[in-house]
Amino acid sequence: MRALSRVFLGLVFCQALAGCATTPPSAEALANNDPYEETNRDTLKLNGKIDKYFVIPTVGVYFLLVPEPGRRGVHNFLGNLSLPTIFVNDMLQGELSRAGKSMWRLVINSTVGLGGFLDPASKIGIQGHGEDFGQTLAVWGVGEGPYLVLPFLGPSNPRDATGLAVDLTIDPNNQIHFKQHVWWDAGRIYFTLLDLRGQTYQTIQGIQRSSVDYYSSLRSLYRQMRAREIRNGRAPGQDLPDF
Amino acid sequence: MRLSMPLMRRTFLNAAVAGVPLLLAGRAWAVPNVAESFVDENIHKGLDILRDKRLSSIQRRDQFEGLLLSLVDVRRIAMFTLGQYRRTASPDDVEAFVAAFKNYATAEYQSYFSKYTNQQLKVTGSTEVKPTDFIVQTQLIDPSSNQPPAEVDFRVRTDTGKPVLVDVAYQGIWLSLEQRDQFVAFLGQNNGNVRSLVAHLSDLAVNLGKPSN
Repeated sequence: MRALSRVFLGLVFCQALAGCATTPPSAEALANNDPYEETNRDTLKLNGKIDKYFVIPTVGVYFLLVPEPGRRGVHNFLGNLSLPTIFVNDMLQGELSRAGKSMWRLVINSTVGLGGFLDPASKIGIQGHGEDFGQTLAVWGVGEGPYLVLPFLGPSNPRDATGLAVDLTIDPNNQIHFKQHVWWDAGRIYFTLLDLRGQTYQTIQGIQRSSVDYYSSLRSLYRQMRAREIRNGRAPGQDLPDF
Repeated sequence: MRLSMPLMRRTFLNAAVAGVPLLLAGRAWAVPNVAESFVDENIHKGLDILRDKRLSSIQRRDQFEGLLLSLVDVRRIAMFTLGQYRRTASPDDVEAFVAAFKNYATAEYQSYFSKYTNQQLKVTGSTEVKPTDFIVQTQLIDPSSNQPPAEVDFRVRTDTGKPVLVDVAYQGIWLSLEQRDQFVAFLGQNNGNVRSLVAHLSDLAVNLGKPSN
């Protein structure tokens, strides 16, 4: 996973360089805080091709071979693996109550939940939540920076990309080194990809079908979604534009 | 597009029955309740239409469209989604855009709500942004899932004398904001040509009306 972090940072760096190498941004792109729009659109096209020719067929095979309860077990297991990172970020944000929930979910689901394949914690009212270092940076007052589309990973920005690299580094699962850890890491990434894409397949298809401009639709959705995650809930109405 | 006269009359009658008596009952507490009851009553009506298996797909579409146009201030949303281009577009282009947007928005809202017909919507409260601007909070509960309910918010304006829906948010993502971002980006890439957006919206409205794969 350390190697993966380096690869990831390399991708972010390459993306930033590619952005700098293109023609000057339009006034529209600057107004949208998207000075690398041209490069971002090219990267989105590349990601679309990877998705179409590699990811979607693989997800199709996964859905064919693994029935819904099995896929749910995989989803729960992957979620359980990310709980230590969520706990650390809860603490870094001073969210003690949410940190407690993350800790109890980890304890209950890792034991009663058979290593995380089941989710008994949700059944007794301890619902899961997401948290990452990108959100922690936002809570600490770090701005998001310009919009980026990362190769393979999709919508992001320098703050969230940095956050993802930090999360990979602090994840305790990545500190445990054993003989086959390369295969463990590869398997985790592979199933995370399958799980994520399987969960978002219909939503993304719906967005592609109804979008006037898929790129700007994704950008808007990503920003609104991240803002909600950072707030841990609904926006105050005063922040909404007037009609 | 402006609402036709019979539709306007019907809309006013609906408002008179559903909203105006409550509006007169004291603003401090009653106005948020007008917004809440407006959402509670009418969204359930819409979901009932989409759930009704006795209706043909054309009847369902027509009934949903009729209800939607009586609840939603399409013109206001259309003007909002044009962003800065509403100031530079010609009046003819604006009218063509509002008409195309009406068809697109109807198809999109129908497609949006069709996904949730098996779920239950529960109004949980409302927030007053301004004296005539409310956000009604609801929860979308899936009885077949142990996942927490999804948050769906409705933005309701009452400044025209009757409650009208101007935006909807699913899990914090506001539909009109996302539409504005798309339309402005599209116009930016097409030299502000509103007619090209109109043509694109018309094609999308037709595609959204077709069954998805």
